[in-house]
Amino acid sequence: MNIVGEITCYGQCLRLWAPIVALIVIISIASIASSLMLKNPRKRLQTFVLAQAAGLFAIAMTFYFMDCSQMLSLYLYFAYVAISTILIFITLRYYDRLMIKRLEAKPAGSMLKWTQEYVDMLTSARLYFFDSAVPKAFAAGRSIFISIGLLEILEDDELKAVLAHEAWHIRHNSRIPFLSRFALMAFSSSFEPELEDQADHFAAEIAGFAALSSARNKIDKVFI
Amino acid sequence: MVKLDQINISNDGLTKFFSPIEAAILRALWNEGEMTTSELTGKTNIPLTSVAGTLDRLVKAGYTTRRTENVNGRVRYVYEPVFSEEEAASEITTKVLDSLVQAFGPLAVENFSKYNGKK
Repeated sequence: MNIVGEITCYGQCLRLWAPIVALIVIISIASIASSLMLKNPRKRLQTFVLAQAAGLFAIAMTFYFMDCSQMLSLYLYFAYVAISTILIFITLRYYDRLMIKRLEAKPAGSMLKWTQEYVDMLTSARLYFFDSAVPKAFAAGRSIFISIGLLEILEDDELKAVLAHEAWHIRHNSRIPFLSRFALMAFSSSFEPELEDQADHFAAEIAGFAALSSARNKIDKVFI
Repeated sequence: MVKLDQINISNDGLTKFFSPIEAAILRALWNEGEMTTSELTGKTNIPLTSVAGTLDRLVKAGYTTRRTENVNGRVRYVYEPVFSEEEAASEITTKVLDSLVQAFGPLAVENFSKYNGKK
């Protein structure tokens, strides 16, 4: 049987509900796509949850209203699992590229050459500077992001401490097996304080405790 | 250029049109021309934590521009006002007059001619 024939058959088996199920599936896919494009983190999360809820709802509807074969519910469920897994994988892998685009971040090497060289010594990661007066630093994927506002207030050895701190996060991230990252995503908030302490411990070893603590004093907020 | 969605007539000076921190930054930039972030925090006496976010907003809204300078390995921002005080004053005046005319029509115009700036 060809695919079109199969879809028509499923449509007949679902009877009146077919267009509604199709609509919900479309809503789910559309909100996944828009959740990837939205800038506001809260709205992004809301549309992502909406997409997941709509997907599960479509599967439940198919399960209850299907007259003949239950295979369609299974197909939809497998498609749902596959799409979610791929999305989570892509987000983890390419989140830094998204941030580079969103923040219009520039490679650090073009502005302060030694900073990228310093990071290269610690781990394999790209260092980016982004345009903001608010002092901020964070690591994502295999990239470290530092705001120009942070560069303004830090002395060189304090900046080294911050770079070592973020480099530790990158080293740590790449050591986590793929599957346990799912667990980390779900419970990340409870892990964070401990991770920050470990990153600070590493930074103090590399760049010295004095540099680390004076950097800490100057920085309003340092994200993971 | 100036986005006037809120005017607080009872406020003092520039804070009628801008937040107190925005007003302090704009006043400093109009007086000095170009300024670095540390000069701005020194001049306005507002801590960096409060100034930084406001500076980002002023740049995004188009009131000020900034460029990055690299002096002996130290990276810093240099801020510049986009509009002079005169340009801002004329823009704000036009917008306020527009809204008065829109609200009161000929009555507003009649009052402009009678207005002699008594204070």
